[in-house]
Amino acid sequence: MEKEILEQGLNHNRRKFLSRLSLGIGSVALGSLLVPDLFSGKQESEDALMRALPHFAPKAKRIIYLFQNGAPSQLETFDYKPLLTKNFGQELPESIRAGQRLTGMTSGQSSFPLVGSYFGFNQYGESRAWISSLFPHISSVVDDLLIVKSMHTEAINHDPALTFFQTGAQVGNRPSMGSWLSYGLGSENANLPAFCVLLSRGKGNGQGVYSKLWSNGFLDATHQGVQFSNSEDPVLYLKDPNGMSRDQRRKMIDQIASMNELNYQEFNDPQITAKVQQYEMAYRMQTAVPEITDTSKEPDSIVKLYGSDCLVPGTYAANCLLARKLSENGVRFVQLYHQGWDAHGDLPNQMTGQAKDVDQATAGLITDLKQRGLLDETLIIWGGEFGRTNYCQGKILPDNYGRDHHPRAFSIFMAGGGVKSGMVYGETDDFGYNITENPVHVHDFQATVMHLMGIDHEKLIYKHLGRRYRLTDVHGKVVKDLIA
Amino acid sequence: MPKVTRFIPILENLLFFWLGFALILSFAGDQLEIPALLQVLGRAHPLILHFPIVLLLMAVGLFWVKDEKLREIGTWILLLGANLTGITVLAGLLLANEGYDGDMLIWHQWLGVASLALATLIYFYRDKSSKFLRISTGALALAIILTGHFGADLTHGEDFLLAPIQSQEVEFVALEDAEVFQHLVKPILEAKCIACHKEGKVKGELRMDDLAGLQKGGKNGPFVVPGDLKESLLIQRIHLPEDSDEHMPPKNKAQLTDEEMEILQLWVESGSSFELKVTELKSDEPLFQLASNKFSNQRPYTFDPASDSDIQELNNFFRKVNPVFPGSPALQVAYYGTSAFDPASLKDLKKVNEQVVKINLNRMPLESVDLSFLREFPNLEELQLNFTGVTPSQLTNLEGLENLRNLAISGNKLGPEAVTVLGKLTQIKKLFLWNSGLEESAKEDLKKALGSAQIDFGFDGKGIVYALNPPKISFEKDVFQDSMEVILSHPIKTAEIRYTWDSSEPDSVNSPLYRGPIWVKQTGEIKAKAFAADWKGSLTVSNSIFKAGVIPRSYNLAFEPNKKYSAKGAASLFDGVKGNTTQTTSNWLGFTDTPLEIEMVLSDIASPKELSLSILLDEIAYIFPPEKVEIWTDNGNGWQRLPNLPVIQSSKLEAGRLGVLSFPLPESTFEKVKIRISPISKLPAWHPGAGAKGWVFVDELLLN
Repeated sequence: MEKEILEQGLNHNRRKFLSRLSLGIGSVALGSLLVPDLFSGKQESEDALMRALPHFAPKAKRIIYLFQNGAPSQLETFDYKPLLTKNFGQELPESIRAGQRLTGMTSGQSSFPLVGSYFGFNQYGESRAWISSLFPHISSVVDDLLIVKSMHTEAINHDPALTFFQTGAQVGNRPSMGSWLSYGLGSENANLPAFCVLLSRGKGNGQGVYSKLWSNGFLDATHQGVQFSNSEDPVLYLKDPNGMSRDQRRKMIDQIASMNELNYQEFNDPQITAKVQQYEMAYRMQTAVPEITDTSKEPDSIVKLYGSDCLVPGTYAANCLLARKLSENGVRFVQLYHQGWDAHGDLPNQMTGQAKDVDQATAGLITDLKQRGLLDETLIIWGGEFGRTNYCQGKILPDNYGRDHHPRAFSIFMAGGGVKSGMVYGETDDFGYNITENPVHVHDFQATVMHLMGIDHEKLIYKHLGRRYRLTDVHGKVVKDLIA
Repeated sequence: MPKVTRFIPILENLLFFWLGFALILSFAGDQLEIPALLQVLGRAHPLILHFPIVLLLMAVGLFWVKDEKLREIGTWILLLGANLTGITVLAGLLLANEGYDGDMLIWHQWLGVASLALATLIYFYRDKSSKFLRISTGALALAIILTGHFGADLTHGEDFLLAPIQSQEVEFVALEDAEVFQHLVKPILEAKCIACHKEGKVKGELRMDDLAGLQKGGKNGPFVVPGDLKESLLIQRIHLPEDSDEHMPPKNKAQLTDEEMEILQLWVESGSSFELKVTELKSDEPLFQLASNKFSNQRPYTFDPASDSDIQELNNFFRKVNPVFPGSPALQVAYYGTSAFDPASLKDLKKVNEQVVKINLNRMPLESVDLSFLREFPNLEELQLNFTGVTPSQLTNLEGLENLRNLAISGNKLGPEAVTVLGKLTQIKKLFLWNSGLEESAKEDLKKALGSAQIDFGFDGKGIVYALNPPKISFEKDVFQDSMEVILSHPIKTAEIRYTWDSSEPDSVNSPLYRGPIWVKQTGEIKAKAFAADWKGSLTVSNSIFKAGVIPRSYNLAFEPNKKYSAKGAASLFDGVKGNTTQTTSNWLGFTDTPLEIEMVLSDIASPKELSLSILLDEIAYIFPPEKVEIWTDNGNGWQRLPNLPVIQSSKLEAGRLGVLSFPLPESTFEKVKIRISPISKLPAWHPGAGAKGWVFVDELLLN
């Protein structure tokens, strides 16, 4: 008996083993059909893109992001806290601060006296939103705005906070929001970059912006933000040199392309293809850009709407006007930065100047898009990288004080592009220090913006160095309450 | 073996027991009073039913094999299976009394009994003939499968089995057609409740599959009481703790989501109407908000998608044609690049005329372009024709477009006849008419004609007066040699620029009007201000312009400037290069602990008449005008101090700007001149740094 069993066992030779296994392999293969990208590995980018695009119409087609670099104070703009005025000069209670880390600029202060807004507040519009006297024009379009008073972030210094907002990570070198959208949605107008960057600077204490904020990171170089110059010529060296005809330019680009092609065949570096595409894009921009940057045909009422500064290149108002022109010409993501909001001291003066720079032009941009029937499909975002402390930095006077960085609660607003209008979302405590209702984390904000553009932030991924990356990293929740 | 065979007669007899019992229960089911213990058995029906199914099917299989040994095993299994069928049938009949009803139950019940009878029959006549065996076992297998199928339908709902391969098309409901009950509430009931509350399975005597049942309520009371959350059993039950026996849906079944609970609650609160339309709700009601999230403003598209190759062909650098979202049959078209516009290319779009829902032709020159092709776009919903030069007569082509909802024709000069044309486009919901040149009366007429449509006439700026931005003063160098051209400009071409050289404020009447480049020959400060109709005058801008002075033969600083702000030393003061307000390290000499004291030897040079200092002012950065300025001259007989020189001190915090201090020098000739400029020693009380030392910054010293 034992012998028989042994023989039976020996009969399980390799051939038999393999023939039995073949059925097993078959079942694995069959099973793998149910796991779409189990074996596909490399060829995922395009499929991944399609999967990230949900099958419903996006609410917004384009974004104009008016980044207020340096972090405007929420307490002087949208977050009205009468208690701070009432308790002027009193110490910030430890129960409110609750161990919040401070920057090196005020951590050494022996006292943290509360300071209220120098500027008065009033309620506006149907939403009865509180807005300070700094923004007379913005308060006139309040019924188009969605004010979020409960933003919070993780970083406490400008560069990491800004980088976090724009790229979803505090360290540099990740793709920027505009790059992700360019990657996910492509360009509407093939003659312009999908992602443009415009810079301006107010007179207030400024903080730098760096090209890493509009970097394509590990995405293809064609998704990089194109920085426009803030001079008379927004795109430098666009004109052909004297004596060079359009045909000659064409021939030159074709020649370069064929040489690049040879190079590509040898090295297979995708950067070479990107470069060829950028030459082609630049060639088409030679006719597309002058059409767009020409402000001479704007009606008089437009100049009045944005303020007459909109005709002075390099100002925030001019950038707003240019942003509208780019956006209506199909640029997916126009990123503005207005510097100078970092009011550690002399805040009332500095904010007056900064607000004057942005108030009319921001409201004008919203009205302008609206009157062209474009606001519904264009999302406007206004806000900084964090908020400012409710206590004074440096010397405290009712009409002169400063505020340090505050990541725990700050305000931004959005308009158009599928967000609810005439709404104030979120609430902070009476000290304006902590969020008491509906917090919105930077990643939630990013997830929501992507959702509005018709992208599932969890599915728009890019595999790089063995890891899948997305704008919201492993976080972020779409805030449905904000969506119209 | 022998021990087991002892049970065979018992099992055989039991078969008849089950059969008899089953028939009695089947016929007398309604009148039964079932003891609690037996109810437990009844509820075990879904558990035990799987055994007989497996055993009977296995037996059928074995009977089909021509192998005596296997057939014998089959006989055994059949006997066992038939008995378990009996138990299952009985359990099922007991369970049937717990609120199941309808055709489906009858089919299930009688097929179950038939299976039991067939299994018994086959067992006893198994040796009859092979033909009989084939037919009877086939019938048994069929009966088992059908019984199982109807049973599953009873538990999971009809069409459970085939649902995944049946058409997945979700019904598309436009917001304006949506009804609160039909499209918001009913889908929830269907998904989470109806499986147990419907014809055939009326648990708690409540039927949710028809309106009458909902209005009637169940055995415990009314399903809903309009407006009353507490009395509505629906709301009560869904809010009970999940452990509670009364909680609905029962534990272990799919639960309601928060949103679904909210919808049900809001529906009851709003009066639990069965007819209310979503659009009848107020727009700030939460139910409306919820509904507007669920139903898009889009209508369902019934047309077929265009072919990919057609779409691809239509795309080029100047025209984008793509689906409104991936997978949608609807297409949107956008034209870009005014200079590349070819009106003939519009005709290409006819290929996809049925699919196009949106066309953007903004800024394309459409004057005298035949727009009649638009008539062939029956599904067009949005048309953007801003700044295209379209005329009312071209717009008549839009009349028949029944689905057109948004029309943007801003920036086209329209005459009063436009009102007649646009007034006929009553299908439009939103009309954008900014910058159309329409008279107020025409606007009013149009509003009347279009009734409910939203018309945006935009911002025309009339009657609103803002301040102009200041003019720009441009010139080549701050310090010029003999003469220099100064150009004033303003971005608004119609603006007037007025200017002064005498440090007075320019006004719009008396001050000279700028007509062209100004030539300057002397040091001075130009002030300029812009004026324009409909605007407030701008802020005044000013610039100091310096005529290059004589450079002393030699000069000597008594004290070194602060190390951080030492530029190129004393030479910086005479290099004709001005500093700017933002970069203080390259051209400025900064002093705080020591005064700026410089001795200059002029001999062989004509004595200058004036000494000017170009200084930086930036109170925020502690940079103030000097506290004291002292000047001495020497004509060979030792230093002579000039009378005290007044300096106007700052009185408030201001950001960085440039300033000039000029002092007259004696008429008499002198060979040497010395100046001492002392920084402010104590910042005034109003300054955040009150009491600290201030700074003086100088970039040029000019002797003229």
